[in-house]
Amino acid sequence: MQIDWWTLGLQAVNVLILIWILSRFLFRPVAAMIEQRRAAAAKLIDEARTAHEQAAAELQKAVQQTAGLELARSEALKKIASEADAEKQAILAAARAEADRLRAAADSDIARASQNATEAHAARASQLAVDIATKLFARLPDAARIAGFIDGLAEGMAALPAPIRADIGSTPIRLKAARMLTADETQACRQRLSQALGGRPIDIEIEVDPALLAGLEIDMPHAVVRNNFRADLDHVAAALTQSAPTQLGRQGPRP
Amino acid sequence: MNSPLKLEPLFHIGPVAITSPVLVTWAIMLALGLFAHLATRRLSLEPSRTQAALEAMVSAIDSQIADTMQADPAPYRALIGTILIFVLIANWSSLIPGVEPPTAHIETDAALALIVFCATIAYGVRAQGIAGYLKTFAEPSWVMIPLNLVEQITRTFSLIVRLFGNIMSGVFVIGIILSLAGFLVPIPLMALDLLTGAVQAYIFAILACVFIGAAIGERKPSSKASTTEHDIP
Repeated sequence: MQIDWWTLGLQAVNVLILIWILSRFLFRPVAAMIEQRRAAAAKLIDEARTAHEQAAAELQKAVQQTAGLELARSEALKKIASEADAEKQAILAAARAEADRLRAAADSDIARASQNATEAHAARASQLAVDIATKLFARLPDAARIAGFIDGLAEGMAALPAPIRADIGSTPIRLKAARMLTADETQACRQRLSQALGGRPIDIEIEVDPALLAGLEIDMPHAVVRNNFRADLDHVAAALTQSAPTQLGRQGPRP
Repeated sequence: MNSPLKLEPLFHIGPVAITSPVLVTWAIMLALGLFAHLATRRLSLEPSRTQAALEAMVSAIDSQIADTMQADPAPYRALIGTILIFVLIANWSSLIPGVEPPTAHIETDAALALIVFCATIAYGVRAQGIAGYLKTFAEPSWVMIPLNLVEQITRTFSLIVRLFGNIMSGVFVIGIILSLAGFLVPIPLMALDLLTGAVQAYIFAILACVFIGAAIGERKPSSKASTTEHDIP
């Protein structure tokens, strides 16, 4: 076996040249490109990491803002609840006051209506009593309806103050009677009234007023002297009407 | 009868006899150079299929270097990668009719082994200094100095003979069977030759890594691949 040293040397040189060629045109540019891609990937990873950190920071900020909003919302709800409670209390107080006022007004109306009803009942009862008395007095004899009242009228005239009595008699005295007086009754009245005025002669004008039922009444400019059933019944009716609310008031207000 | 292992010059350039392995090697160099130039003209961050294949190949070579030598692969990429590619293409060149692979001749294998031998010494001296490199021959003991010196020679010869024997035997077997049997009979053996050629190229490159790695000592590979290429001294 022989070795061709020229071939060996040429092959060694060829391989060295091939190493340089492939290093220059293959390995170096491809490795540079790999490194460039790796650097680009690293840059992208760094950017992604930075973006991730920024996103995390934004998320943290959003969480804090959400917590702040939640706190503000909670405080606002508390404030609204407090205001609503105060408003509710005010409305309830106003409603209660209004209800009290309405109830008081209703009680007043009820009391007034009750009083009016009582007064009406009293008035009706008085009227009924007067009517009953009127019907009863109507059964009296005509003489009794006048004669028995002359003295009382004279006494009432005598009881008037002196200055008033002094003025009586200058003009005819208007004498109201339940019926037209007879001549005797007129004379008796004139005589008794004259005596009550100290014997001073007087003139009488008779005026018939059936509403008097029985009795007489003198109507003067400054005084009125009554002695008749109508006046008495009016006094009784007034007394009954006044006593009825008093008795009702003692019962106390309705709840 | 002439030995089939004897090289006959095809022509002469001056006193230099140009033989078949040299001519085929020039053709391989021309093809690889043109391919490398054309394939790397327009590299971009969005790779084409060719660029992706080249990047995968370079990454695989880097990975093998880093795993074997436990060192940054950048300074050794050109040497190991070129040896791998050249031996692989040279072994597979037997598929072209009439072409005899350069690695089937011992001159080419010896040239490759000689380059690996010189590179081992150069990288060892650069990594550890002359004294440091020479001290490695006295490891683990000075008694081992003769054996280590002999080992430097024998492992280089083993590189030569392993590649030469495998490729040359494949060529011979195919030639004998082709002369005795029909036209299509050697095809399975040619397929086996493809496998043998790839395995031998890988073994040659990995052994070169192992020898250089032993010369530079154990180092941790850097986590970031260097972009600086270093030509062998």
